[in-house]
Amino acid sequence: MDSQTSQPFIQIRDLRKTYVMGRNKVHALDGVDLDIEFGSLTVVMGPSGSGKSTLLYLLGGLDRLTSGRIHVDGQALEQMDENALAVYRRRVVGFIFQSFNLMPTLTALDNVAFPMRFSGIAPKARRKKAFELLKQVGLEKRALHKPTELSGGQQQRVAVARALVNDPKLILADEPTGNLDTASGFAIMQLLSDLHRAGRTVLVVTHDPRMLQFATNVIYLLDGKTVSQAEYEAASTFSQPQEITEGNS
Amino acid sequence: MRLIDLLSLIADNLGRRKGRVALTAIGVVIGTAAVVLLVSLAIGLQQNATSQLWGIDDLTRIDVSPGYSEGPVISGRGGVVAVSELGGGMQVKNLTPAAIDEIASLPGVEHVIPRDYLWGGGTMRYGRLENYPSIMGVGTNDLSVFGYQLREGSLQLERGTAVIGHWIAQNWYDPKARPGDGQPEQPDLVGKTVTVTLMKWAEDGTMIEKKVQVRVVGILAEQRSEADGWMFMRLDDVTAYNEWFQGKRINRNKDGYPMLVVKASDPDKVIEVAEQINNMGFMASTPQSVVEGINSFFTVLQITFGGVGAIALLVAAIGIANTMTMAILERTREIGLMKAIGATNRDVLTIFLGESAGIGFIGGLGGIAIGWVGGELLNILARTYLSSQPSYGMGGQLTASTPTWLLLFALVFATLVGLISGLYPSVRAATLVPVTALKYE
Repeated sequence: MDSQTSQPFIQIRDLRKTYVMGRNKVHALDGVDLDIEFGSLTVVMGPSGSGKSTLLYLLGGLDRLTSGRIHVDGQALEQMDENALAVYRRRVVGFIFQSFNLMPTLTALDNVAFPMRFSGIAPKARRKKAFELLKQVGLEKRALHKPTELSGGQQQRVAVARALVNDPKLILADEPTGNLDTASGFAIMQLLSDLHRAGRTVLVVTHDPRMLQFATNVIYLLDGKTVSQAEYEAASTFSQPQEITEGNS
Repeated sequence: MRLIDLLSLIADNLGRRKGRVALTAIGVVIGTAAVVLLVSLAIGLQQNATSQLWGIDDLTRIDVSPGYSEGPVISGRGGVVAVSELGGGMQVKNLTPAAIDEIASLPGVEHVIPRDYLWGGGTMRYGRLENYPSIMGVGTNDLSVFGYQLREGSLQLERGTAVIGHWIAQNWYDPKARPGDGQPEQPDLVGKTVTVTLMKWAEDGTMIEKKVQVRVVGILAEQRSEADGWMFMRLDDVTAYNEWFQGKRINRNKDGYPMLVVKASDPDKVIEVAEQINNMGFMASTPQSVVEGINSFFTVLQITFGGVGAIALLVAAIGIANTMTMAILERTREIGLMKAIGATNRDVLTIFLGESAGIGFIGGLGGIAIGWVGGELLNILARTYLSSQPSYGMGGQLTASTPTWLLLFALVFATLVGLISGLYPSVRAATLVPVTALKYE
């Protein structure tokens, strides 16, 4: 378990991310403060443009913050150079994307093994570990299939296995069920829940409220700020009649 | 990232786009083949030229002529050399016996042999056959000093004897022959005596003849040098003939010899000895300096030819840069993914640089194969053509010569061209912001 018990696993303070689009400045994150405990399954809820994906990418070291502080597992991301961030991504984080991002020319097994090439692990050991992980996500029989020969749900399970190859403490999932049907989406959430139960910290970004049943911790984001559940629901109710009207028309 | 992983990843990535890689590599193939073929051609021409150089059979030889200069000549040791004043302020430093001694005392000098030409015309007669040799007097009794190969007889000269060159021995003609009779049978002269008739004109315009009997003691094998056209006699014989031509004695201490042949003990010392002789005020020329001059000309030719091929490679380089730029646009999301799963900027840079160097390497391999085969084809064509040309004398010579270093150089160069062309796109790929790359549509 986390050795840094005195301090939360993830600590975010006054986090701001501003994009410059032409002459306009867009504040994707506008002063976010968060503490996330080790071993939790956090669901970040928010509509499109709320800044939830930006939060995930900043946590994953894929983007640079404008100001503020992000500490993950005792490491200050804002102080890291490109190389240190790459090592952080390799050792601490596992990513799962909405569009799977599998290499179309590689088999499921090779896709899972791919990140280990950058860690200097020998080919035999890579394949062994990749196969074990595919087995863990129930795809050992599809190991030699290419992504185009797999269903969406299976592809996302390959992506989950790939996220686990470097044994990361933190799993970051960006709309992992967004491209999946209900059953497949549920299976993926089940898988993420299993990972959380196995001791990993999981952070899922979604706007799908069905995910909440798996969460140990929920963060609501609106316009780049964290809000309470009540505020979030109020904002959602405000926008709901319009959507229903559109849906019925 | 381990080297083996890097190489296999590069090979996988190139294998994914076989068609495009092949098309891009074709440019490199053409450029490399052009470099290999053109430089091979230049090397072949150089080898042809140097192998056919006349008189380059002896690399220890230095030909020394009198030194000509303007103004007073600085004499060697205590004014032992004679200096003559020519018209227009020109001075000549003569090759006197004292100068010979001075040159002979230089370290690395084995022999110093004075030579003199026959200053007038001479006709050689044997039976009814005639010949017009160029007669050369040499200050040695042993022609083997020059390294000449003998066809028949001996290289030892005595008074009243001669050794004749290959051409002279084959140039006898019958003055009474009628047109169409063809060349008469050439006599076997070794041990035979020929009559040499020297001719000069008296002041009143009458022709005076002097007949001398000369015994031929040896005939040289073909030297492919000036020796083929000479009739060699002892210097004192020729000096006597020249004194007869001039009607007065020749004072070598004053007039010197027109030329010396200096033999160095070692080919490596030739340049050094020649420099020392030049510093003494004489003019020394060596076959090596001739070869060096020719070599430097052909080096320029090789560079020029190589440059033409390099232009083709430059075009190919732009092709590689274009292909890599396109590949990076297409694979932006892949780059984002690689970074997301822990690839450093350096990993990405190395992968893409490796891919572009790989294209250069593949093209280079194809290019050196085609360039080499092209050179061989050229040789076959040249041999076929030249062998159909009667007695041109170049049959069997190579037209293009492809040394191993050229093939290796071309391969390394093509790979480097690939590497450098990939520099800009690879740096762009490496410095992409991961999140931007991942979101790229």
